[in-house]
Amino acid sequence: MPKLISRDGPEASSFVWREDGFTHIADDEAPGGELGQVIISLSRFQADGDRWLAEGRSVGVRLKPEDPVEGLAYDLPRLAVVALEFPKFRDGRALSAAALLRERYGYAGELRAVGEVVRDLAKEMSRCGFDSFEPSDGSTPEQWTISVFRFRHVYQSAADRRAPAFRERIHIPTAEG
Amino acid sequence: MYRYDAIDRSVIQDRSAEFRDQVERRLSGALTEEHFKPLRLMNGLYLQLHAYMLRVAIPYGALSSDQLRGLARIGRIYDKGYGHFTTRQNLQFNWIRLEQTPDILDALAEVDLHAIQTSGNCIRNTTSDPYAGATAEEVDDPRVWCEAIRQWSTLHPEFSYLPRKFKIAVTAAPQDRTAAKVHDIGLVLRRDRDGQLGFEVMVGGGMGRTPYLGTTIREHLPVQSLLSYLSAILRVYNRHGRRDNIFKARVKILVAALGAGEFARQVEAEWTTMDRVAVDLPDVELARIRGAFSYVRFVDASPVSSSLEAARRADPTLGRFVRNNVKPHKIAGHAIVNISLKTPGEVPGDCSSDQMDAIANLADQYGYGEIRVTHEQNLVLPHVKLDDLAAVHAGLKAAGLACPNVGLASDIIACPGLDYCSLANTRAIPVAQSIAQRFSMPDVAESVGELKIKISGCINACGHHHVGHIGILGVDKKGEEFFQLTLGGSGAEDASLGDVLGPAVAYDQVTPAVDALVQAYLRERRGAERFLDTYRRVGLTPFKAAVYAEAH
Amino acid sequence: MSLAAVTASDLRDGEVVFWAEGRWVKRFADAELFNAVEPGQAALDLARAQPTIVVEPYLINLDLEGGVPVPTSYRERVRALGPTIHPEMGKQAEGGLVVQALRAHAGGARSSGRLGLIRLKR
Repeated sequence: MPKLISRDGPEASSFVWREDGFTHIADDEAPGGELGQVIISLSRFQADGDRWLAEGRSVGVRLKPEDPVEGLAYDLPRLAVVALEFPKFRDGRALSAAALLRERYGYAGELRAVGEVVRDLAKEMSRCGFDSFEPSDGSTPEQWTISVFRFRHVYQSAADRRAPAFRERIHIPTAEG
Repeated sequence: MYRYDAIDRSVIQDRSAEFRDQVERRLSGALTEEHFKPLRLMNGLYLQLHAYMLRVAIPYGALSSDQLRGLARIGRIYDKGYGHFTTRQNLQFNWIRLEQTPDILDALAEVDLHAIQTSGNCIRNTTSDPYAGATAEEVDDPRVWCEAIRQWSTLHPEFSYLPRKFKIAVTAAPQDRTAAKVHDIGLVLRRDRDGQLGFEVMVGGGMGRTPYLGTTIREHLPVQSLLSYLSAILRVYNRHGRRDNIFKARVKILVAALGAGEFARQVEAEWTTMDRVAVDLPDVELARIRGAFSYVRFVDASPVSSSLEAARRADPTLGRFVRNNVKPHKIAGHAIVNISLKTPGEVPGDCSSDQMDAIANLADQYGYGEIRVTHEQNLVLPHVKLDDLAAVHAGLKAAGLACPNVGLASDIIACPGLDYCSLANTRAIPVAQSIAQRFSMPDVAESVGELKIKISGCINACGHHHVGHIGILGVDKKGEEFFQLTLGGSGAEDASLGDVLGPAVAYDQVTPAVDALVQAYLRERRGAERFLDTYRRVGLTPFKAAVYAEAH
Repeated sequence: MSLAAVTASDLRDGEVVFWAEGRWVKRFADAELFNAVEPGQAALDLARAQPTIVVEPYLINLDLEGGVPVPTSYRERVRALGPTIHPEMGKQAEGGLVVQALRAHAGGARSSGRLGLIRLKR
């Protein structure tokens, strides 16, 4: 079973390997028997999502950078995973999509980075709300932990709820505590 | 000026450590060049024709004397004893070794400097008015807002992998010394009728192969909302800017494609649904930043300096220096001193380590320890007492820095061009040197008056040729260096893009052509008209006739 | 095929380097010259197999200047010499016959010196 780098709990300060129970299913591929856990494209979800969810499958949706996250807003509570794709690590659209899912649409489930997922973006992805990663560069959870927490301070508030410098300076904790 | 606290310092130290790790991975082969290149660019490291080039950020063009000395030291240890001030108020070292770069970053961090986001598809160093805090023209100190932007944009998790680079300018004076209208975002601080401070927000300006002037999408944004509004613009751009074609990826193309009205609508929709409290700086933080910029306790000085007047009578070169390089200060008895890095024969923007030290010492002795960089590749001592001007002039003269040509024909902007840059089609520096020599006689330059000549060695327009009164663009024509001339551009408050004069001219014909343009101007000008005013009144025809009669 | 050489930038210091029988040399005067496609391509393939030594190797076209081979492209001559505005900097500082030939040659001011992209002036 493939492995994911995953945060060791929502507020944890380290990352660990986690078994990945989900299978990515291509648009022209059958989902397999046994009502397995699947990750499918947005268009496949729009076609088959209701039926598969009704059958009792766990369903995740994989969004390409050009797919609007707004279209998923009402389905978020039914989804087990939202996977956002980085066709190249330099393509930062999924960072905005992640921020929107977490901050505007209140998505609290697994948010997974797929595609060209490299540790040089670990802190950006983590800060924007990603909590699981399919690394494409051979990174380990230990390396991921170093990359994410290398910076002792940050300047912006983001989905990871770290206190930004402007709050640390005036000793006002974030609203969430 | 703003001094870094422990938090600011930790960020540049941690960034330096991160880059050291990335360099080690590249040298060991763990990272390919394709993977490493965008990472090194995010830290201002280019591979140029002869060596690596490191672009050091000078946030909004403001330097302390200690920082300038730090740059001088790095120039001596790690380069060939000089640096190059750029059209974006930064400093470039031209002879850098990759394996030494982490040590250079540590040395920069010792004086609170860094190379963060000086290249790459991220938010770059903010351009601001080099006279900020010194000119009586401004309605507020733009550096307060630049520092707010610096912190917000530094390692922004969402906006570090944009479709393309992103440049912001902030000015608070009616005279625009930032070229705000050719930035991705130009911010002009104004007070409304009720006295409330706000920003006019212009988007979609830029140069390169598709030049545009920015369009106003909001007339008066309350200043407290600056960062959330910028976030809204960046989010719309990050999501919808083109990524399929590098030449169409700047925000100007998105604004043009959507129309400014629709772009503004999308920004407002994003902004109104955003959690602004989480993004905008609280008043107490803004007050902290503002306090850092109001530390200068100006010494009382007489509005007229008898010693200066006496010195001017004794030394006509001082008189000329004061006439061209010295500008009025908001405090009586003080002045703003421009230091030209354009002495004819020298490389525009270049400054030796010895000269940096000399300027830092003058700043300490006579200028409250502050130095500014202009986007026209000159330096500024923003606060000098009139009584000290003669001493400053003498000090600059001793360092070879007293050229009295600011704003004149020999004060030319030029990109590094094919002498250094791997993107260039043609050289730019020797073209600038040749034109500057033509106008090297101070009387000649002064009789011509304000003339902004700007030279780019390729279409990327780092030399700002689109907004030169005379713009010069190097093109490759059948394997030879040729130069296209444009007239009537301006990067100031009366911004405009230049018009193409006619067919490009050969390398050795550029200076004669510029000379012919100036002669035509002198024939046509009325009263105190500048070159730009005359061109705007009479149009291309007499200039065309002058150049193509004489060059062919 | 006209004469060619293989050039690149040294990964560690960014300096211009040229291929010479399995080594990298810093002076154009020491570069290995190829007068046929196959050996040039073979050298390029070997060079490309050294990504921790050099960055982005490529072939450049050469002309003869008074019998001395020099790069056809102006850009490549600037690389081989150093900045034209600083004759004391870069490889040109040493002087010599090849440096003189590099300076004397005219034309080919293209943004890329890569083989096949140069249109020669006839």
